Amino acid sequence: MNPPRDVWAKAFAIQARSDFTIYRKLLGESDVAACHRLHYLQMATEKIAKAYRIRDTTTSEEVLRSHVGFSKFISSFVLSPPLKLEYKGKQAQLRGLLRDAKMLAGAIEKLAPAIAPDQTPQNTEYPWQEGESVIAPCRYSFPNLSMLNESGGRTFLKLIERALRDFEAIQLA
Amino acid sequence: MLTNRNDAAVELINWHFEIEPDVTDIYFVNADSDANAPIILLEVSRSTLATGSVEPFSFGSSEEIPFTTVIAEVTPSEFAALSKNPALLPKGWSLEKAERFTRPAELG
Repeated sequence: MNPPRDVWAKAFAIQARSDFTIYRKLLGESDVAACHRLHYLQMATEKIAKAYRIRDTTTSEEVLRSHVGFSKFISSFVLSPPLKLEYKGKQAQLRGLLRDAKMLAGAIEKLAPAIAPDQTPQNTEYPWQEGESVIAPCRYSFPNLSMLNESGGRTFLKLIERALRDFEAIQLA
Repeated sequence: MLTNRNDAAVELINWHFEIEPDVTDIYFVNADSDANAPIILLEVSRSTLATGSVEPFSFGSSEEIPFTTVIAEVTPSEFAALSKNPALLPKGWSLEKAERFTRPAELG
């Protein structure tokens, strides 16, 4: 008998949490290239989105195999009832958080080599061609994600931590 | 606490229009379900990523909204495709009995 989907969902959440812990650890290592920590961030975000998706039993198996999903997840998470309660009276703040989150989530999603390799070849794992040069990810600074080091980026990372933490704390009815 | 499911759904829908300026329409998919059923919202957004599929995410309740909530975002063109071919909807979903909410004019 195959394990039920909630068991898979919980396992994805556990692995996402572990990936995010490694991302946090690598943030403190100044001699580690940006690609390595961003790789763990991309994996953590992909898996937590899958965890929330898997526990909705109407999602097809085919959709679950896709890398894409974190952007849609983060928008829905910002609009979820627990966040609504937390941001009551702070609509402008939540609108700003949603705007930043969507932008950063889209950029993080594209770090997976399988996502839009023709439009955005920059990824955290494999070299890509730029003009007549070949770029190794460990020699690339990923300037489109520099916002992660700023105030909006830090709030976004806290949002991810919240999603990781809340997954098991919030039981579905 | 909004213990009436319909009141809770309307409160959540109004909040979504207020926070997300790119959402044009929200469908309360299972408006006719029983009083304790999850609130399922299909939201049409101009800025969401087109993936060619409906990806619902389930969230827990809060003190204010004491219902499990399922939210899925699609682009306007994805929604048009769903309208033409309901087989693309997640299993058990139907737009036939869904209640449609359009973006209030005052929110722009």
